[in-house]
Amino acid sequence: MAITQEKMDLINAGIDGEISHQDEDRLAALLLENAEARALHAELQALCGSIESVEAVSPPPHLRHVIMNTIKPTPGKRRSPGFMEWLLAMPAFKYSATFAAGVILTLSAVSSDQHSNSALDDVTGLVGTIADPVRDDFLASTAVDNANVVGQVSLRSSGSMLILDFDLVANGPVEIDAQYPDRTIWFNGFGQLEASGTTISAKSGSVSLAMEGKRRYAVYLQNGGGQREITVNLRFSAGGEVIHETSLSYKPAD
Amino acid sequence: MSKSDDKNLIARCIKGDRQAFEALLIQYEKPVFNAAYRMLNNRDDASDVTQTVFLKVYENFASFDPSCRFFSWVYRITLNESINWLGKRNRLEPLQHEAADDAGGPEQEVESAKLSADVQAALMTLSTDYRTVIILKHFLGCSYMEISDVLEIPEKTVRSRLYSARQILKDAIGEAGNY
Repeated sequence: MAITQEKMDLINAGIDGEISHQDEDRLAALLLENAEARALHAELQALCGSIESVEAVSPPPHLRHVIMNTIKPTPGKRRSPGFMEWLLAMPAFKYSATFAAGVILTLSAVSSDQHSNSALDDVTGLVGTIADPVRDDFLASTAVDNANVVGQVSLRSSGSMLILDFDLVANGPVEIDAQYPDRTIWFNGFGQLEASGTTISAKSGSVSLAMEGKRRYAVYLQNGGGQREITVNLRFSAGGEVIHETSLSYKPAD
Repeated sequence: MSKSDDKNLIARCIKGDRQAFEALLIQYEKPVFNAAYRMLNNRDDASDVTQTVFLKVYENFASFDPSCRFFSWVYRITLNESINWLGKRNRLEPLQHEAADDAGGPEQEVESAKLSADVQAALMTLSTDYRTVIILKHFLGCSYMEISDVLEIPEKTVRSRLYSARQILKDAIGEAGNY
């Protein structure tokens, strides 16, 4: 006796546990009286068991990190300016206030005969930089997912500076060549989160880095060309062989 | 994690809270990656799709309908992205299956690797319509109603696709001598 579509559906629904009490009884009766239905039920159960016994695959360990690095911060809601901010935003008031403050400061210095402040004259031991906070803009990023090295390289701009952020994990020595054919860009500095582990050498138009293990570092480039299209070509090598090539490009909005 | 936990996290994500996004990422990274892997049969492609899915999720929180279930939305994006990826891949190169890991080891591990490879190979013979229902049912543990929600098709269609897909899989995996 052939199994009808309705009975096939009943068997499938029973295996999935998506069956009413009434249909449960119908299924039990069907399996009791029909050998073909019993065989099909057993086959489908074995199939579902086989599929569900397949172990879930684990995503690459760095993937979460790469995703978190790729997302751009959402700009927060702008709060409305307070009275002082509103007042200082008016250029006429700002210039008048600056002029008045200058006059008061000069008068007070002259009246107290204090032309020197010894605390500020002695700068021995003063370390650090005092600078205006400059907003940096995310420009582009690329994920590296290779047998030798994984992670992320991003390009940011901060004023006239371009910053290449490297966040990589290498399972052996890896060399990275960052080439920027545009001669209006030149090397300006290097910083790394770890105290050591990455070496760098720079020449005109390129920077060479050597690293191993988990390393986070930044290469600072001066962008003398201003608002123009930028391309940085990255070539990763291990054991003298090129293992990955990519580039980061940025095209300024018109 | 409950639906209300997801909602709280989504509300925080909309305000730009990266920690809330990371919590959602931790919860859904593995199922999203697995769904993509089962659709594409390639770890690198599955990684790329997973990354694209979470970027889309992050950029489109504002358009997410809070009356819907978050996982339905995420899984829908995952399956659609995987199908798009398959389309691109098929245009560029012939389909490449990842070789099963048949390295030596305990007998049970070898058997398990063989079954896994046979199931994956059988999955790849299915059309994407059938493959998606099998993935949602057997790899992501969705009910008929949830599958209907994710794929935006009637429950009746879910049943019909699932039963037909199983019939094809039964023959393919049975031929490989797994039961």
